[in-house]
Amino acid sequence: MNPLVLPLVPLAIAAALVLVRRWSRAQAAIAVGGLLVSVALGVDAAVTEPAVRFAWSPSIELVLGVSGFGRVMVVLVPAIAAPIVAYAAATEDKGRTRLLAFLMAFVAAMLLLVVAGDFVSLLVGWELVGATSWALIGHGWRDRGNVDAGTQAFLTTRLGDLGLYAAAGATLAATGGFAFDAIGGAAAPWREIIAGGVILAAAAKSAQVPFSPWLFAAMAGPTPVSALLHSATLVAAGAYLLIRLAPALAAVWWFLPVLALIGAATALGGGVVALANTHAKRVLAASTSAQYGLMFIAVGAGSTAAASAQLVTHAAFKSLLFLSAGVAVHAVATTDLRAMRLGRVLPSVAAIAAVGGLALAGMPPLGGAWSKEAVLSAAAEASAGLAVAVLVASLLTAIYAGRFVLLAFGPGSGQRVVRRPGRVEIASLAALATATVVLSGLWLPGAARFVEDIGGSVLPPGSSWEVVASLAVIVAGGLVVLLLDRRGRLSDALPGALRRAWITDWLGLPLLQRRLVVQPTLALAAALARADDRVIDAGVRATGRVAVVVAGLTALRLDLSIDGAVASIAASAITVAGASRWTDDTIVDGVVEATGRGLGRAGHESRRLQSGLTHQYFVIGAVGVVAIAAILVAGR
Amino acid sequence: MLTAAIFVPILAAALLALLPRDRGLGAQPGRLMVLSTVIAAVPLAILAVAWLGFGGTGGFEQVESIDWIPSLGVAYRVGIDGLSLPLAAMTALLFVVAVLYPVDLRGRPAAYFALLLFLEGVSIGLFLALDLFLFFVFWDVSLVAMYFLIAAWGHGDAQRSALKFFLYTFAGSLPLLLAILGLYLATEPRTFDMAEIIRQQPLAGTGLYGLLVFAGFFIGFAIKTPIVPFHTWLPPAHVDAPGPASAILAGVLLKMGTYGFVRILMSMLPDVWAQLALPIAILAAISILYGALVALAQTNLKRLIAYTSVNHMGYVMLGLAAAGAAVTGQEAAQAIALTGATVEMVAHGLITGALFLISGSLLARGGTYEMTAYGGLLDRARLLTGLTALMAFASLGLPGLAGFVAEVQVFTGTLAIWPALAAVALIGIVLTAGVFLRMLGRLFLGALPDKWRSFPDLGRRELAGLGALGFFVILIGVVPSWLLGVIDSFAGPFVGRP
Repeated sequence: MNPLVLPLVPLAIAAALVLVRRWSRAQAAIAVGGLLVSVALGVDAAVTEPAVRFAWSPSIELVLGVSGFGRVMVVLVPAIAAPIVAYAAATEDKGRTRLLAFLMAFVAAMLLLVVAGDFVSLLVGWELVGATSWALIGHGWRDRGNVDAGTQAFLTTRLGDLGLYAAAGATLAATGGFAFDAIGGAAAPWREIIAGGVILAAAAKSAQVPFSPWLFAAMAGPTPVSALLHSATLVAAGAYLLIRLAPALAAVWWFLPVLALIGAATALGGGVVALANTHAKRVLAASTSAQYGLMFIAVGAGSTAAASAQLVTHAAFKSLLFLSAGVAVHAVATTDLRAMRLGRVLPSVAAIAAVGGLALAGMPPLGGAWSKEAVLSAAAEASAGLAVAVLVASLLTAIYAGRFVLLAFGPGSGQRVVRRPGRVEIASLAALATATVVLSGLWLPGAARFVEDIGGSVLPPGSSWEVVASLAVIVAGGLVVLLLDRRGRLSDALPGALRRAWITDWLGLPLLQRRLVVQPTLALAAALARADDRVIDAGVRATGRVAVVVAGLTALRLDLSIDGAVASIAASAITVAGASRWTDDTIVDGVVEATGRGLGRAGHESRRLQSGLTHQYFVIGAVGVVAIAAILVAGR
Repeated sequence: MLTAAIFVPILAAALLALLPRDRGLGAQPGRLMVLSTVIAAVPLAILAVAWLGFGGTGGFEQVESIDWIPSLGVAYRVGIDGLSLPLAAMTALLFVVAVLYPVDLRGRPAAYFALLLFLEGVSIGLFLALDLFLFFVFWDVSLVAMYFLIAAWGHGDAQRSALKFFLYTFAGSLPLLLAILGLYLATEPRTFDMAEIIRQQPLAGTGLYGLLVFAGFFIGFAIKTPIVPFHTWLPPAHVDAPGPASAILAGVLLKMGTYGFVRILMSMLPDVWAQLALPIAILAAISILYGALVALAQTNLKRLIAYTSVNHMGYVMLGLAAAGAAVTGQEAAQAIALTGATVEMVAHGLITGALFLISGSLLARGGTYEMTAYGGLLDRARLLTGLTALMAFASLGLPGLAGFVAEVQVFTGTLAIWPALAAVALIGIVLTAGVFLRMLGRLFLGALPDKWRSFPDLGRRELAGLGALGFFVILIGVVPSWLLGVIDSFAGPFVGRP
């Protein structure tokens, strides 16, 4: 099988959806069915590991293939997308065809990114993921706020894309091609450029500090869009790239430490932000940044295997949590967590959401606990400080996960429900919950071997104190949540000193981005535009004066006057020519004899040469002018 | 064959010009348009055949020559190689669309179509010319034709803009003429034959003399391209020109400058180019950032597109500077940079040509280029929105579309030569993304103002024209090998890739 088939299937489905736009049931069936076909093809590709190379141009070869962690991604992406698309088909009425088609294109772009084996193919998938997310986030385009949010998301991630362009160029310079498998042998400084570019691209895409706020803006999209872009696509692309390329770049001494640092900052910062917010989707968005921070820590600690396990478990429970949040938001028609507590009215949804919350918190025996454990072991092997960061981040995670589930689906006093979830929505949630539970299989003996094979690195053996510490963290987190709840302070979880608007708004990062990047850029643009206008105006005024002089002249006369200018400048050229080495009389004579025939004028030889040429040129030019004049005369 | 591609439209233009204005065919704009479209398509068909017969040998192919002024070494010589063929073909395609595209004819249809056809023959002639003298004749005559198109069918302050365009670019062609003469006088035996001059390299190691000739060419081409700070003629010319003329001006005439850089300066004075490559690259980076930033501040759609042209021509120049730089061991990257710059010439012609045609359609419906006057048009004009979005994303370099194929090659190729400079210039692609996303948002998204309740979507001719351009934008973006192979047959040998 050609690996290109994997992205082409969802792309073809997107086209098919437009064709059957009148039959909404058929649309849902085609979309979900197509994704299930993609899952089957992905499984086949994971087993057979197809690879293909083809020439984009005589000097650029593209490499596509399914290998390493890509074997999991080709299954994971359509498998997570299928229930989400079913949910989208059931809940979104406005622009339904457009939404479903773009979701399919989104999946297609992500699959292309996954099968890319060189930087050019990667860039194609990478930027198409970004562009489709622009369309998806701005789905409700009549509201300009949604459009601006999509633009912010696209521009922030594109800023990161520059890193990929740089990495691609450095790979070309170092290896003469773009393929991934050659970057390990790249020499300095090219390897450093590749490493820096990959960090920039991955951090922007995975919403790490300082790029995290675009994920808040991305909330403007419909719930299924959030569910998909937070789990198996877009945000996942950054971590996927690191899992794929980090082993080859680990020799750059600062590469892994910088990743670990970025990851730790995001995991801790995101945890605080998640605790500070009462907007249901924002809590989850901050959590996504934080959880990807853990993956960055794992890669930085040298364990791509731990990061890949975390990516898979996170994809399952985060999509589940987003869809549950969507149900809750629809039910009470607000995103405010303080107005929910839907446990009594929506018990089945509450139970399903609890599974997601427990997985996020890292409660054994769910898979989420296993992967968090693996991250902790990897961090502990790298440095004690990193292990402490992971433990603190895990504590924050346990608290905000418990807080979210309790606020959204805790037992409350009979909320009025505007809209109840339908069967398809419940089924979608159940499917994702099942996936979350099935991932408990990671605890089975032999699973570690499998993950090491998939993730491309060894998993450090966990020590007993880590297990104890993890459990203690979860218990402590649970106690904190219960304590806060009893005191009625669950929605204001942070201590008073930390309850600041800038902390809620991603630690002030959006403000910094506006003040330090966006506003200076726009101000510079405006200033340059004004300066440019002034120059143009001056030119126009000067032209105006010239225009007064030539206004009365016909086109022919205008041309003649410029011909005069030609002649005068030609004359000055002779002076220049005379000053240069070119004074050889015999050469001049030869040319002059050839060209000067018919010219009766006397004078300096070189001058005659120039006149002769100009004369010839005028003859030709005059023909053109006469033709033009004829056209105009005839046209009048 | 190639000669016919040049002279069929020119002769047809002469015949159309003789038609009386008030009776017969001259008074039937519809039939004139169909007839002119068919004539405009003749060069496209000829070049398509030439493309099929193109061997990619690295030299000039399908050469046709007739002695003209043998005593001076002037001859009518035309031919194609991997550089000129794609540009000539793009030119022919864009002219077919421009002729087809609806425009306010101001009651002078025959003259309008005659000028467009005349300009088509001249433009194709410029790209196919293998003689410096012939090149210069086409160069200057194209200015005259464009001057009349803007002055007679433009709007706003059309006369003044046209005159400014003419004077400014004509001022550029004077140093060009001097430089051609300077180059000619150094040849031995004397000739205007480009292939012979490239073989002779007459100015190798001539110091100041070579530098002066270089300066003459450089100023001439830099004004036409345009490179900052020679760009100030561009915005007013575009704003006041009719849509199709704008499309031709941006799509074809600007390429004459960048084509001249490769065909003449880099080929005939490669040593000087190599010495000055870094300063040229810095100028290119300034053009990229300056063009994008000034575009970001525009509220007038046409000025916005005009400034993105400055930005895109910066990409071309950056690639050209990298390709001609004096480095060894990076020939693969240099070939990619040169290929990318050439693809950018073609892609920019198709994409920006389409965007200017679209702005003409918008003006015809809404009466203004001010973007703040629009909004929410997606509700009423889905085809217009879709095609504009396609072209906007192509222009900002989205993969799968033609612009990306150019930009990824320009930037990766340049990065291998000057990493820091390329990194700075890369910021341009984020800025252009901002420019075009804001443009799409302002025109088509958000709430629909009440006055556009009845905003008509694209007509059949508009759809056909833009659809044809869009087809090639996608084709080049998805399967570029047919184009890249042709260009590479020129670029590889040019940079001395082993």
